[in-house]
Amino acid sequence: MALNKEDAVKKARKDLAQRLKIDDNSIKEQSVDDSDFPDMSLGAAEDGEMSGQMITRGWRIRLGANNESYEYRADKNQVRLYKYKGKNYRI
Amino acid sequence: MNRNNFLIHVALAIVLILIAAFAGQLNRWRKEWKSKVHIMPSAEKKRMSTAEEIALAEGRTFGRPEVLVKFKAGVSLETIDELTSRFHDRVEDRIESDPGLDAIDDLDNADAGEVVAQYSALPEVEYAEPNYEISLDAVDAPPLVPVRPADPRFEDQWALANSGQRGGKEGADISAMRAWATTTGSDKVVVAVLDSGVDYTHEDLAPNIWVRPASLAPYHDNELGTIEDVNGFNAIDNESDPMDDNGHGTHCAGIIGAEGSNDIGISGVNWKVKIMPLKFMNAGGYGTTKDAIEAINYVIDRKKAGVNVRIISASWGSTQRSRSLEEVIRKAYDNDILFVAAAGNASTNNDRSPHYPSSYNVPNVISVAALDRNDQLASFSNYGVKSVAIAAPGVDILSTWLGNEYEEKSGTSMATPVVSGVAALILAEHPRMSVDELREKVLASVDPLPALKAKIATGGRVNAAKALE
Repeated sequence: MALNKEDAVKKARKDLAQRLKIDDNSIKEQSVDDSDFPDMSLGAAEDGEMSGQMITRGWRIRLGANNESYEYRADKNQVRLYKYKGKNYRI
Repeated sequence: MNRNNFLIHVALAIVLILIAAFAGQLNRWRKEWKSKVHIMPSAEKKRMSTAEEIALAEGRTFGRPEVLVKFKAGVSLETIDELTSRFHDRVEDRIESDPGLDAIDDLDNADAGEVVAQYSALPEVEYAEPNYEISLDAVDAPPLVPVRPADPRFEDQWALANSGQRGGKEGADISAMRAWATTTGSDKVVVAVLDSGVDYTHEDLAPNIWVRPASLAPYHDNELGTIEDVNGFNAIDNESDPMDDNGHGTHCAGIIGAEGSNDIGISGVNWKVKIMPLKFMNAGGYGTTKDAIEAINYVIDRKKAGVNVRIISASWGSTQRSRSLEEVIRKAYDNDILFVAAAGNASTNNDRSPHYPSSYNVPNVISVAALDRNDQLASFSNYGVKSVAIAAPGVDILSTWLGNEYEEKSGTSMATPVVSGVAALILAEHPRMSVDELREKVLASVDPLPALKAKIATGGRVNAAKALE
């Protein structure tokens, strides 16, 4: 099922809460912006992953917790965590 | 009247009757001769413009007006009449099936070349050309006249014919219409679209989808077993159905070979070709290196089995190097298969930060950058004077999409199939060309562009017409 912006933000918050082992409510939504990503893995390819080289419209979601900032990237098909401890993750 | 005079008059009358009869027969022969010439468009080398073909199709006599002038969209009939009377010309005929195209007669009987120059200089005119008389002699005449397909959305395909629409630069295209005067492609040439699959039911693609011939055994792999590959291969599920569930592969396939001049949607670089759909990327538009390798192995197997698959179009990549992927691309080279790959969309220099598979140093790889409609390197496009070979249109490219739809998309993903399509056109004309010759021919075809100087290896945009010279 295709994701919308709200679904994507929810999914990102839930993922970050689980990773950091904190309550969802303590995560601050810093910004959610429409964005063009360079490819179909939203510029956040996992290891061993190849993606279509087509400009892809989606959302850049910035969340804050524990005085740190985290970037998620999403489109109608997926949500990804960008460069978390140096690595990308598909949620 | 004496007897001698009477005989002389009778003889004269007989001679006149014979001359008249012979002249009538000559006219009939002439008509027959011309009707044979009219069949000539089916010959491989077309020499007639679309306007001439339209006129012939409508059964009109052709050859009187000096020039054919195509006025730009939006130029009113009043303006056209005003312009022609200013030059002391008159509109001899309005080609109804091609709005804006008029046959114009110069009342001063000026040289057609001068009249063409006069109209070409007008801002209201898209192009003007002499009204070539179609005759047996003309069939052998060298000038190739651009061919325009009958596809309702062709006007939006700036990559193929850029008339300056939507703020573009006139002529910033791959000269497809001139190329089509030589060939519109061949269903003997198979292009593998290694992607998210292809919607092989799309009405603008279905006639050009590869189907495994009944004489060819299904694909067999020692690990995967036997797969009934009717239309291609799905490497994700290791099954036969390569149906696209994303749209990206369908878009790329349409650029290479949406059926041309079928009164539906768009035209591919090839009007006819065979697209072999391969699926290794999922509904999200991403996939694994392992599945890409499996799909390339499938192509090589089919080539060895006798399928004339000579090109793999690869509109994907990443910054991660894979030795096994490089090796299988080399194996494709050993089997005479060209590998056309997207340079990537990170606006970076591939000489410093390579993008794979386009950056592999394998002799069959052509790395493709993207251009916008003004012949500028697209803002997102990767480049590299050592590692990126050629550029092609890749911004706002209209092509086929899922569900019989059409969408405009941007990326080196879109530039790549333009180059694959041109390579397929070359093979339609030169089927025995080796992969080395083919690559060289594509790269030698470019129009040099200032924006690409010191940015990519050839410094130019692919030109389909030049590639066929």
